[in-house]
Amino acid sequence: MAEALVRSDYTGAGSPPAKSFELFARPTAKTGLASWLTTVDHKRIGMLYGGFAILFFLVGGIEALMIRTQLIVPNNHFVTAHTYNELFTMHGTTMIFLAVMPLNAAFFNLLIPLHVGARDVAFPRLNAFSLWVWVVGAILLNVGWLSHLFPSWNFGGAPSIGWFGYAPLTSKQFTPELATDFWVLGLQVLGLSSIVASLNFIVTIINLRAPGLTMMRLPVFTWMALVTSFLLILALPAIAIALVEVMFDRNFGTNFFEVSNGGQPILWQHLFWVFGHPEVYILILPPMGYVSEILPTFSRKPLFGYPIVVFSGAAIGFIGFGVWSHHMFTTGMGNVATAAFALATMAIAVPTGVKIFNWIGTLWGGRIVTRVPMMFALGFIWMFMMGGFSGIMHAAAPADAQQQDSYFVIAHFHYVLIGGATFALLAAIHYWFPKFFGKMVPEFWGKLSFWLIFVGFNCTFFPMHFLGLNGMPRRTWTYDSNMGWNEGNLFATCGAYLLGVGIFTYFAVLVWSFLKGQPAGSDPWDGRTLEWSIPSPPPEHNFAAIPTVHARDAWWYEKHHQDEIAKEKAEHIKAESEHGGIHMPDQSWYPFLAAFGLLFGAYNFAQLHHPVVMFGNQVLASHLPLAIAGLGFMLLSCYLWSLEGPGGYHIHLDADGKPIESHGAHH
Amino acid sequence: MSSQAATGLIDHHHDSTTSTGIPNKKLLWWAFLASDCMFFGALISTHLVYRLNPPPGNAVPTQIFNIELTSFSTFILLMSSLLMALAVNAIQRGNVKSTRTMLLGTMFFGCIFLGGQVFEFTHFVEVKHMTLSNSIFGSTFFTLTGTHGTHVAIGVLLLGMMYVRTFKPAAGGGLGMNFLHLGALAIAAAVAFIWFVPAMIQVIYGASLGHLLSLHAVPFTVGAVALIALAWFARTGSAVEFGEKNAGDVEAIGLYWHFVDIVWIIIFTAVYLLEYV
Amino acid sequence: MSAATTTADAPVHHEPSKFHIFIQIAMILAVITGVEVVLVYLPIVKWFVVSALVILSAVKFMFVIFFFMHLRWDKVFCTILFFIGLILAGFTMFALLHLFGAEASKPLSAAALDFARVAIG
Repeated sequence: MAEALVRSDYTGAGSPPAKSFELFARPTAKTGLASWLTTVDHKRIGMLYGGFAILFFLVGGIEALMIRTQLIVPNNHFVTAHTYNELFTMHGTTMIFLAVMPLNAAFFNLLIPLHVGARDVAFPRLNAFSLWVWVVGAILLNVGWLSHLFPSWNFGGAPSIGWFGYAPLTSKQFTPELATDFWVLGLQVLGLSSIVASLNFIVTIINLRAPGLTMMRLPVFTWMALVTSFLLILALPAIAIALVEVMFDRNFGTNFFEVSNGGQPILWQHLFWVFGHPEVYILILPPMGYVSEILPTFSRKPLFGYPIVVFSGAAIGFIGFGVWSHHMFTTGMGNVATAAFALATMAIAVPTGVKIFNWIGTLWGGRIVTRVPMMFALGFIWMFMMGGFSGIMHAAAPADAQQQDSYFVIAHFHYVLIGGATFALLAAIHYWFPKFFGKMVPEFWGKLSFWLIFVGFNCTFFPMHFLGLNGMPRRTWTYDSNMGWNEGNLFATCGAYLLGVGIFTYFAVLVWSFLKGQPAGSDPWDGRTLEWSIPSPPPEHNFAAIPTVHARDAWWYEKHHQDEIAKEKAEHIKAESEHGGIHMPDQSWYPFLAAFGLLFGAYNFAQLHHPVVMFGNQVLASHLPLAIAGLGFMLLSCYLWSLEGPGGYHIHLDADGKPIESHGAHH
Repeated sequence: MSSQAATGLIDHHHDSTTSTGIPNKKLLWWAFLASDCMFFGALISTHLVYRLNPPPGNAVPTQIFNIELTSFSTFILLMSSLLMALAVNAIQRGNVKSTRTMLLGTMFFGCIFLGGQVFEFTHFVEVKHMTLSNSIFGSTFFTLTGTHGTHVAIGVLLLGMMYVRTFKPAAGGGLGMNFLHLGALAIAAAVAFIWFVPAMIQVIYGASLGHLLSLHAVPFTVGAVALIALAWFARTGSAVEFGEKNAGDVEAIGLYWHFVDIVWIIIFTAVYLLEYV
Repeated sequence: MSAATTTADAPVHHEPSKFHIFIQIAMILAVITGVEVVLVYLPIVKWFVVSALVILSAVKFMFVIFFFMHLRWDKVFCTILFFIGLILAGFTMFALLHLFGAEASKPLSAAALDFARVAIG
């Protein structure tokens, strides 16, 4: 086994001696701003993803509260109709692309290398690039808000076309403002980030597994991350093309969605949902993974039916590509297509139901410990099931014709995205917080926030089922008092405030714990997976010795075979130090610089046909030269990045386990 | 990587440093190509959807296409794939010199293909009056084949970077030289496919060579200078660092190049040939 | 990494050359392309020409991916990986073409469009 280990990528053995091209010395700072901008450490990248995502989660939450405030009483004028359009567009876009997806990406980054027993992802600099490109996309999407503060920034406000940007709303005729161009480019850039990140995770999970870690021993979370990554790389190209077509329609005079010149707006809907439906599973599969990790830990039992859970996850991912048209039952696709998509949609409920039964099977006969993560995980099962049930109602095409675009749909997808994805994410944040910050969260305050969120959430969204069946359309700015929707809306808005208080409590407690919390040991929950075998917070090199995996619940096995494992680890450490020590990737400026070039290029490209004005004077006739400059800077950074090479340095652990770095010895 | 150092052999079909035996880079590229299938799938679908249900007043493709030229381009792209495969074959056998020749050949054929496309687009716009805006066929056709052309151009750039890298001295350094070399290559390629190849096609169709030479005198001169610079850069000097161990990198770019070729195989059938049936 | 492997005159053991295989494949590809171009001008029934074109293109496609792209000599997982994308893309294209081909989805004819314009006013 030691032999196999020395041959593996984890050790620095035989790293190429050749000098790489370097324009300036590679950064080595471990603290300070530069260390964060140049980091390639998957844990730091994960934390940056998580931090930005929580920020946007709160922004999206404030947008939601403003929407609910507008709807609290009939004929309200809290915000204007246009602002209301901006709010619901940005609420959807933010929560999906800037909150839930990056929170999942944060956990992918934090956990995948630890779960597979690796020191980092397969392409560490590419990973940093994904992060910074994601930040670029987030900026592009939100830059429009600035024109409310500075009227001279003439973007026409934030995007206001709905998160799905249905054609012909995106047509120049109906939304001539730059806001739509920024939305188009922002989503495109976010897609690029997700594809690059997913390719990295796929290679990491498939190729960087520790000795003994077969695919059927992978933690379920990592399996779901793999399936999600596949969904991302296969679903995002469809929307990338659709966005290119919209961009061409708006800027270069093509007619893809221009009805007057032979285009068909319905094509946008199809391409959007070819992406959009797998996207739903991209949002929910990682949460299913968190829950599959948390439930066994607090039931003191292995996961019930592991192979079936894994297989169901893969099946959901695959069938998820064949159900997109159920978002379009009312567009008149013909009976055959409608029936086929209705059947496929009902079929996809089967593997989902199988998973729920497996989670219940895990709880059955277990010694259940109701700590805060477990509370959220149990809440997930219940709430997600409710969302699933209304989902099956939509699968019946005739019934869906009644529910389409009503508040019933709003209730459905908030039950799966808050009751499902968000509950699981809150469970995951609480569960892994001690690992990555080394502090415990107080149990009382955690439980209080759970109950506030649980009650607030149900008060907000349960009445929406009735509002929807009573005919209240979605995306409605206001309503008349004689529609019979007054009580439901008032109740829902009060629930939303309660939910807001709950979310605020949740994060305030986390901040308090980070500053003042009790220190957590390396394994506070008596966990089962490998991340609990290392100190909290984990050292930069993750594992002093690359673990050998003997069983599915690898860390539980290690806890019960301590002598055998200690002997094995000593052997691994010896073999590794004989081959130069622990090999770590070098930091780099180029991913950040390339992303900066992309930001500059995309920001200017969005305004292509507008003159560049500075202090009231026209400087350039169009933004094209600036866009080219940004793109050129990005290409140059990428070129220097490729010349720089992966580099690398070695870490040796002294007798106390303190790392000593040796730079330049081998690379 | 240490296994090959220990035995002196490189197994190009098994990488013992990874769990599956597939090198990380190769796995990344294959996953990317799977993703790119969906990318072109969506584009080709868009084109075919509008072709099968044309709106009133659409352009008539058979009156616009020049099938002889496109067939020739297809043949050229297939042959560039052959050269690419031979480049990988050469580097797997440690033959750096032959690898360079094959990479240059691949780029050259790529430029001919791109030049054909530049000629085609210009011809469609100026002679056949089909633009991006004036018919839905123009919108879908130019976007689809233009995206493919962009892929080819990126491929030429990547091959150029790989070609220049084969000259990296074993002793280290040489960043500035590398830059200038790539610059010369990029200029030569750009002149070739924007001006030179379209001009040669025009000559074949009966235009006067002398007139075209004087018309594009500036770019041709710049291109000639770039070519001379390339020849100067390519003179064999000190030992280079590039060798059989880099076979994986060449192969990765090869995968991309062949993929662009198979996409064209589909476009050629679906977009061009089926119009004539 | 020993320096010995980095130059052309390094160890004798090499990958067997695939030069001749590649040349032969390229010839086959060129011939198939020629046949395809000729085929569209022949006065044969349409369904035959269309299916022949599809099959010939598929054959070209397979030759390139299995030989030029080395799938034949590589781990089978690469093939699986690529075919996941290929099959999904093919399936999506098939579904889209059928969706737009359905009677209910056809765009209005010029006459119907004019009529609709008049009716709307």
